[in-house]
Amino acid sequence: MVSKQNENSMGPERHPWVSSFLEGWSIFRQNLLGKIGLTLLVMFALMALCSYIPPWISPIYDPMTGVDPDITSCSGPCLRHWLGTDFMGRDILSQLLAGARIAFMVGISAAVMSIVLGVSIGMTAGYMGRFIDTLLMRLADMIMVMPTLLVVLLLSAVFGQLNIWTIVLIIALFRWPGVSRIIRGQTLSLKQRPFIEAAKVAGASHFRIIFIHIMPNVLPLAFLFMTFRVTSAIITEAALAFLGFGDPGTVSWGMMLQWVWKTGHMFQAPYWLLPPGICISLITLSFYMLGRAMDEVLDPRLRKEDQTD
Amino acid sequence: MELRKYITKRIIQIIIIFFVILTVLFLLFRLAPGDPVSMMVDPDMTQEDAEMLIVQLGLEQPLGMQYLIYLKNFFTGHFGFSFHYGDPVVDIIWDRLPNTVLLFTTSIILSALVGVFLGKIASWHKGKKVDSIMTIGALVTHTVFLPWLALILIWIFAYKFGWFPINGMISEEVWLDPEAGFISRALDVMYHMVLPLSTLFLIHFGAYLLIMRSSMLETLKEDYILTARAKGLEEKVIRDHHAAPNAALPVVTSVGLSLAFSINGGALTETVFTWPGIGRELVSSVSQNDYPLAQACFLMIAGVVLISNLVVDVLYAYLDPRIRY
Repeated sequence: MVSKQNENSMGPERHPWVSSFLEGWSIFRQNLLGKIGLTLLVMFALMALCSYIPPWISPIYDPMTGVDPDITSCSGPCLRHWLGTDFMGRDILSQLLAGARIAFMVGISAAVMSIVLGVSIGMTAGYMGRFIDTLLMRLADMIMVMPTLLVVLLLSAVFGQLNIWTIVLIIALFRWPGVSRIIRGQTLSLKQRPFIEAAKVAGASHFRIIFIHIMPNVLPLAFLFMTFRVTSAIITEAALAFLGFGDPGTVSWGMMLQWVWKTGHMFQAPYWLLPPGICISLITLSFYMLGRAMDEVLDPRLRKEDQTD
Repeated sequence: MELRKYITKRIIQIIIIFFVILTVLFLLFRLAPGDPVSMMVDPDMTQEDAEMLIVQLGLEQPLGMQYLIYLKNFFTGHFGFSFHYGDPVVDIIWDRLPNTVLLFTTSIILSALVGVFLGKIASWHKGKKVDSIMTIGALVTHTVFLPWLALILIWIFAYKFGWFPINGMISEEVWLDPEAGFISRALDVMYHMVLPLSTLFLIHFGAYLLIMRSSMLETLKEDYILTARAKGLEEKVIRDHHAAPNAALPVVTSVGLSLAFSINGGALTETVFTWPGIGRELVSSVSQNDYPLAQACFLMIAGVVLISNLVVDVLYAYLDPRIRY
């Protein structure tokens, strides 16, 4: 990010988005929490990238199927397995790295989907007003009071084992209302501005006004919400996996905790219990800190909206 | 008068939402892949019992009729029989509900009160060491992964030190003892509640602290605080009587907004501590494919969230007369 900034500041002409990004970046750089959050996230991203290395070195390091021929039960850290092995002799470090990949995948894809949904619905409700507005906002109210984790649980009771993408989709479908309310409010005030009036007079369609004229103005807010949605998606997936309803084909941190807990190793194997929990908590914390920092960059008055749920 | 109108409106809204949830659940279980009979009737039942239950639940009728029977059964308290326990679902629900409500309400009230109190202090010492410690502490405890925190607390306080029981809600020797009075039983439950309550408290108070802190900082910029200062009031009076009550309002709103989130945490806590509540029952019924029980547990949890939402809204309207609409 630093190199990109230098590159951009060299050029004489700047796109307005680039200059506003640079302005935001300079405020962001003074924010200690934001810097810590970003550093941690870069570390987790590196972990996710490194997750391809252990299985490549030797198949005994495969997070899911790798079994060390000499070790058949849970064992402590040693030279061959830096963080020890789980109850089947699988390497904990490579599971931890694979978990980082899953966390990013789940968090970011669920967040993007719920933001796209929330922004479209919020803009439509705010712009169209009347009946559509009432209908969409009542729907939002209804979904907002639903505990997402328990909804996914119930759906997995009805439809059987859910795979990771279905879980992501359900999380996204239940996490848009918070965003759409904020975007709706923003749209309501934008609607009154002269440039929308001008677009209408020029004969622009509703669709064009919403997506070409209103959307660029609400996107910064939407990005802010994305960081909070990422945390809530990661937590929901981890909790689901912890309860034993995760995708059995993936190794996530929640899954690792479930294995510790269900196989009764939590009192005997701290080297197994601690890392996944620390990772989930730290990634949540870093997205949260990043969100708060961006919050201050974008609008200091927004601070009340920043709870994760 | 205004307040009463507002409450009536909210109650009607909540009833509508509950009806929608009821209907969606009905459709979900009837239109799901597989046979509705296999979803609602225990495969281990005898032929006659199964047929009786099918008639009672109206499973042989067309869908519209089934829905009416479903509503009637709901209001008369017939949820069918649990596959796992074999008992009527409604009995299980009534047995578990008070335990959930006890843990849930205590944790929310406690964390909101402590969050408001600490947030007030943090904002008062803005930029000083106390403030930074509290803010960072709140951020960290708020973002810790709940089940993991629960496991760590069990590991340290129940396993290593042995101060608290590892799981459950009651000790049998106290409850089987006919001599034991109400107080010793209540103390026993409280003793079991310490760890689950601490888990939920630690997760929740941070959010309230942060909201209270920023809201208090906003409030302190208001003109009436300046007026209070100009009158020469003591700083402590300004803080506790002029700023804090107004600043606490956003906390009430956020309690309402985070109820659904809190009940997720409640279910996780109940499961880890084997606290006999509805959330734990939902989790175990889902893993045992006990559909009637899962459905009823989910409905009850939705009901608890909706009613607590109503309570929070009424409280808010009562505290802030500007908000009645």
